[in-house]
Amino acid sequence: MDTGPIWRAMLRNKAGFVLIALQIAVTLTIMVNAFGIIQERAGKIDRDSGLDEANTFALASVLYADYEREQRMALIDEDLDLIRRLPGVVNAVASNSFPLRQGGWSMGLQLEPGNLGPESVSTAIYFVDEHGAETFDVEVVDGRNFTAGEITWSDPEDNTWPAYGLITGALADELWPDDPGPYVGRTVFINVTDPVNVVGVIDKLQAPWESWSGVEKSMLVPQRRPSEFVRYIVRTEAGMRDELMPEVESLLADSNEDRIIRDVTTMDETRKLAYVGDAALIKILSFVVLLLTVITALGIVGLASFNVSRRTRQIGIRRALGASRPAIVRYFMVENSIVSAIGLAIGAALAIGLNIVMVEAFSLEPLAWYVIPAGMIALWLVGQAAVAGPARRASRIPPALATRQT
Amino acid sequence: MLIMKDVSKIYRTDTVETHALRGFSLIVDEGEFVSVTGPSGSGKTTFLNIAGLLEELTGGTYELDGRDVSKLSDKERSRVRNEKIGFIFQSFNLIPELDVYDNVDVPLRYRGFDAAERKRRIMSCLERVGLASRTAHFPAQLSGGQQQRVAIARALAGEPRFLLADEPTGNLDTHMADSVLDLLAEINEGGTTIIMVTHELTLADRARRNLFVRDGEIHDGPPELHFAAAASA
Repeated sequence: MDTGPIWRAMLRNKAGFVLIALQIAVTLTIMVNAFGIIQERAGKIDRDSGLDEANTFALASVLYADYEREQRMALIDEDLDLIRRLPGVVNAVASNSFPLRQGGWSMGLQLEPGNLGPESVSTAIYFVDEHGAETFDVEVVDGRNFTAGEITWSDPEDNTWPAYGLITGALADELWPDDPGPYVGRTVFINVTDPVNVVGVIDKLQAPWESWSGVEKSMLVPQRRPSEFVRYIVRTEAGMRDELMPEVESLLADSNEDRIIRDVTTMDETRKLAYVGDAALIKILSFVVLLLTVITALGIVGLASFNVSRRTRQIGIRRALGASRPAIVRYFMVENSIVSAIGLAIGAALAIGLNIVMVEAFSLEPLAWYVIPAGMIALWLVGQAAVAGPARRASRIPPALATRQT
Repeated sequence: MLIMKDVSKIYRTDTVETHALRGFSLIVDEGEFVSVTGPSGSGKTTFLNIAGLLEELTGGTYELDGRDVSKLSDKERSRVRNEKIGFIFQSFNLIPELDVYDNVDVPLRYRGFDAAERKRRIMSCLERVGLASRTAHFPAQLSGGQQQRVAIARALAGEPRFLLADEPTGNLDTHMADSVLDLLAEINEGGTTIIMVTHELTLADRARRNLFVRDGEIHDGPPELHFAAAASA
């Protein structure tokens, strides 16, 4: 290997190599940290909401006629009955919100009654009936689902909360961090003093706010709310969603003309909307990384091309002295590897430093152990690919050039 | 031994065909010191390029050291150049970014010798040309004569059977030229075949055999004879 002489020769013409090494270092620094952010956001986007998203959609019923409370309650019952009886519908529920919707209801839970203190734990609240668990595709991993008898209508005269709740495992773990389950049968307090008995623990159901740090904490509450605005969530059998969406919409619209049906939305659309900012950030950062990589590659091509032009005669001399074409290609490859190695070493140090700063400043996850090595390998390969063209061009310089007078 | 039969070299472009060498034959015996003279553009350098496997011949056959080298692949030609031929150029052709040691080392690395063997050969050759104390110097820090001596050391390091010199004293003053020629003569006495292209008759006289190139044809005999013939033609 000609590393020694190549290195010593490089030391005689440092400027270009130093600039390229720095460019590689900066590219690696930005590349791996951007990749870390992309990875974090992509992981966030890919999180399971708990719903059977591919087969779930939502729609809203907005009454514009002046209905009494009892009429509104009856209409909700009729609507749900109509929807649930449709072939292809697994189940349906009227709820205040659903995961990824961005708007919802949250409350503080505490283990003792009294004023909310620092010990209270925030949770998302979903008002549902006994069909909520199946509609949301949640599994009751411990305890039981609500019974029909436990479902109440909210009463404007009585603000007391229902006495039962289904909570996610994540919420239970935060409520009782030092006292692991079983959680069924335990009591928490909501609205300062109202006791809620945990009748079951569900596997997973995200809160409506995707950017909330406590997104995995949710509680199902057995209560229905007879307002003018009602949101229905419908789960269908696999592959039936797109067919049933217009059908359900027409069915409800035709069944009562004192309202409008709107916001007919698939969970795919809801997810896309919820993560639109993250997706945009991923695209922007990916573009920046790509751009930087291309610029670095062009820099390497430029330096290598310049070196080939500058050393045309030298290459001819080397060929005359016995260098084969592959040996000339190898020379430039080794030279580029040395520059890359220096740039990548500096870049790795800078990348670690920047990541430490970003973790502290923006509460990001530290980079996975493999990101920097993978980035180094990727950039090294880009460098080698970039130098291959000029190197091959150099190898075609004829040895007879050595005897031509300058 | 170097044997060329009916060797020709034609350079072709889209519109022009130039006959640089016109079917000449030549035998150079082992250990000969041959000078090649001729007017500018006569084909001296083309002959040297063909002899040194720097260019492919267009027609004829070329046998070097008992092996037909007329149709070798580029890789094989590189290897033959590296193992059997040493080059000395008019403008020294040292690599400016490498010091003396690394310059002499260049052909040895392509040969694949290990570090110890390379060092032995480098130091031996540099001692032979009187520059063993200049290993860490760069070409720009040496005089022209010293640079040519480094080039000779580089040419000798691979212990070639043939030394091809292209105007080796062309860029040197008389004193340094003599010194380089003395060195070449000494090398030749050691058994290395030398073919030296020069346009100076006084230098050609130092060779034991003289070849004259004119219009792409090669002629044996004292150069004065051919120059006189060329002048009277």
